[in-house]
Amino acid sequence: MIGVSGVGISLAAGSFQVPSVDEFMPPEILFQGTPFALNRIIIVRLIATVVLLLMLGITAARAKLIPGRWQGAIEWLIEFIRDNIVYQVMGELRGKQYVPMITTLFMTIFVFNLCGIIPGLNIAATATITMPLLFALWAFAQYWVAAVKGKGLGKFLKDELLPAGVPWPIYIILVPMQLLDIVLIRPFSLTIRLFANMISGHILVALCFAATQFFLIDAANKAFIGLGAVTFVAGFVMTLFEAFVAAIQAFIFATLSAVYINLSYPE
Amino acid sequence: MDLITLAEVSGNLSTIGYGLAAIGPGIGIGIVFGKAIESTARQPELGGRIQTLMWLGFGLIEILALLGFIAFFIMK
Amino acid sequence: MRTEAAGGIQLFLPETYDLVWSAIVLVIIAVFFYKFFLPKFQSVFDERAKKIEGGIANAEKTQKEADEAKRKYEEQLNTARVEASKIRDDARSEASHIIGDARTKAEGEAAQITANAQRSLQTQQQQAMVKLRGEVGTLATALAGKILGSKLADNSVQSTMLDQMIDDLSGDDR
Repeated sequence: MIGVSGVGISLAAGSFQVPSVDEFMPPEILFQGTPFALNRIIIVRLIATVVLLLMLGITAARAKLIPGRWQGAIEWLIEFIRDNIVYQVMGELRGKQYVPMITTLFMTIFVFNLCGIIPGLNIAATATITMPLLFALWAFAQYWVAAVKGKGLGKFLKDELLPAGVPWPIYIILVPMQLLDIVLIRPFSLTIRLFANMISGHILVALCFAATQFFLIDAANKAFIGLGAVTFVAGFVMTLFEAFVAAIQAFIFATLSAVYINLSYPE
Repeated sequence: MDLITLAEVSGNLSTIGYGLAAIGPGIGIGIVFGKAIESTARQPELGGRIQTLMWLGFGLIEILALLGFIAFFIMK
Repeated sequence: MRTEAAGGIQLFLPETYDLVWSAIVLVIIAVFFYKFFLPKFQSVFDERAKKIEGGIANAEKTQKEADEAKRKYEEQLNTARVEASKIRDDARSEASHIIGDARTKAEGEAAQITANAQRSLQTQQQQAMVKLRGEVGTLATALAGKILGSKLADNSVQSTMLDQMIDDLSGDDR
């Protein structure tokens, strides 16, 4: 953000509030210093959880045989996750036991991501590393458990570290790479992908609106009003784009978790 | 500012680093989507499967750009 | 950018309280999904599937029943048709029987009546013949006696002549 702040300073010494990474490390508000300290993101996360549980809980409690419009949408989502993510990747027989997990992942990530563009919350509940990390660790644990149950640990490691049909000198490079992949890269790529997407999305949207405010209100030079309009439209588009990204990231996270778990089973 | 300094660029080299890091994934994502469109046009009945694979590939490539992105934060 | 020192790597290090709250939230949501939300919707899906299957089965049953009824009806119609034709045939044959009977009976009766009439006619004729013969004989004898007088008093001549005459008469009659 240095580059942007440099531009801001060069335009006017005024108060161009550049969004910074500090927004993802907000100060503790309640219970400071205890393991139960609350900050802004955690409060957003709690609100999102309550809303998610209430929304889906009421829908489920009132679920009727003949669905209404809202229930139809929820059912479509459930069936989409079940059929298009889990069953398509794993097949029906194997996938059955993972449907609740993948559904939980998808729904939670989706709703938490959407918090980033909901006015008043304005930051994704997944915008600290912890939440994506926990999701990823869950998927990580599941695929190791699946490996031990499905192939047996030895067979799984052999399949992953020493893939067949490779000349042996390659193994010198391949084995550490594959080990790194299954132990570190898989969970951390899941984490980083979700987290970095949320950060970049938030910064983009915030940057656009901050620039709008600067150009329209704070800037001394009124010649920039046109630019302000442009940044406003850009912010609007970015907001829509964030909604899309929220869904896509949830989908990718769920699909990749399913793929990793599936890799732990014999073909 | 010295008299010898004729022009000054302020900022962080990480920004340029991120820009460079985004080139590869940009090309990669272009290829992924282009190929997905191509294969869907050739085999429309496999569209669903291709789309899933497309998003998977997209996710794997995206992580490269995002690594550049976090490197930017870490190194500054 | 005043607090640059706080940025950087720290962004990627989870805080303890953050971990605690994330875990709490995740566990609550996972329990909600595992124990309540998905089973509930699964039961709704199952119930719906059952209902649809039940509906299809019902429809199939009704269809089968209708087919059965139609088959039965057609069968009945067939047997009725066959029966009707049989009855008609029977009636026809009976009628022809009756007619034949009546005809034979009538013919018989007619023949009998004819025979009777002929017989009575014959007897009457014979009677008439016998009577006639007697009368004609007497008459002729008387007539001849009167004509011939006592010349013909001789019995033998008389009877010979009479017989001759009667034979001629009946020969003419035949």
